[in-house]
Amino acid sequence: MILHLASLVVASPLTPIEHALRHVLNWIHTSIGLSWAWSIVALTVIVRIILVPLTVRQIHSMQNLQRYAPQMKEIQKKYKADKQKQNEELMKFYRENNINPAASCLPMLFQFPIFIALYYTLRGFARNPPSGDLSWLHFVPSIAAHTTSFWGGYLLLVVYVASQMASTLYMSATADRTQRILFMVMPLVFVFVIARFPAGLVLYWMTTNLWTVGQGLITKRLIPKTAAPVTAEKRSSRTPPKDDGSSGNGAKPEPTAPKPTPAATSGPPRRVRRKKRAGRR
Amino acid sequence: MYRLGVGLVWLYRVTLGALFPTTCKYEPSCSQYAIDALKQKGLVRGSALTGWRLLRCNPWSRGGFDPVR
Repeated sequence: MILHLASLVVASPLTPIEHALRHVLNWIHTSIGLSWAWSIVALTVIVRIILVPLTVRQIHSMQNLQRYAPQMKEIQKKYKADKQKQNEELMKFYRENNINPAASCLPMLFQFPIFIALYYTLRGFARNPPSGDLSWLHFVPSIAAHTTSFWGGYLLLVVYVASQMASTLYMSATADRTQRILFMVMPLVFVFVIARFPAGLVLYWMTTNLWTVGQGLITKRLIPKTAAPVTAEKRSSRTPPKDDGSSGNGAKPEPTAPKPTPAATSGPPRRVRRKKRAGRR
Repeated sequence: MYRLGVGLVWLYRVTLGALFPTTCKYEPSCSQYAIDALKQKGLVRGSALTGWRLLRCNPWSRGGFDPVR
């Protein structure tokens, strides 16, 4: 009900986006010749490829964050009683250590219009089915139908919940344990809402989550311990040569070094940056 | 009049915000900032401030403590 109301509010400004999305889907369907369901998967992949520069950075900073976990736990313990104060102190700690915490809202916002437009497109499909096959992999008879109107939909939902939980592990870089648990439980609650969505939307969601997980795994493997220098790279002109030097020369001789070095290398640029900021404000 | 904006923020919170759980890098979070801004500065200026805050909440910004001033 609330969702329906919300969809009414956002419907009109999103009509052009819906049309554009429909065009893209049509193009994928007719030009590349994918079925409608696979076109949605392809669309998701295109969207995520566009968002790669945004999300990769996020994953880097998240991995960076994990290294400071003990100190952050200490802060949390210290200000256990006052949540507000605890948050402020954590933010201060992030700032001092050059950590870019958590997700940012802007990349998220990009996904909303696409998601909503897809919702409307699929509802349109349910009303006047387009020519072509709407089924997917033999177990989803129609991507425009409600997810729970066929047994394959339940399978979709299971994969969705699993992928959502897995992607939470990669994307929500929060130090707060309760919040983390909340995010993990959330898909279990929302599965009842999502069950009423068209199956194609769940397909989109599933694909985007799986992409997140895959991207997380790849970035983790490619850049195992150099996360701190990477984030520092942009901030001052002094760090990149240092960074390049260490990763270029000593891939093998320095397997134990990265752990202590970030603290040492991120020291000087940190100060430079804070000064700059203070100056600007 | 600002209540309209606050209502919309809440609508976002219970729908899309809940469906796409995300942590904000700022304190207060973007949606809380929006509510504060709307209450303190009214619909027009509050919305403008919120828009600016959302633009700042990108992967290249630093985040941190940033209340409505």
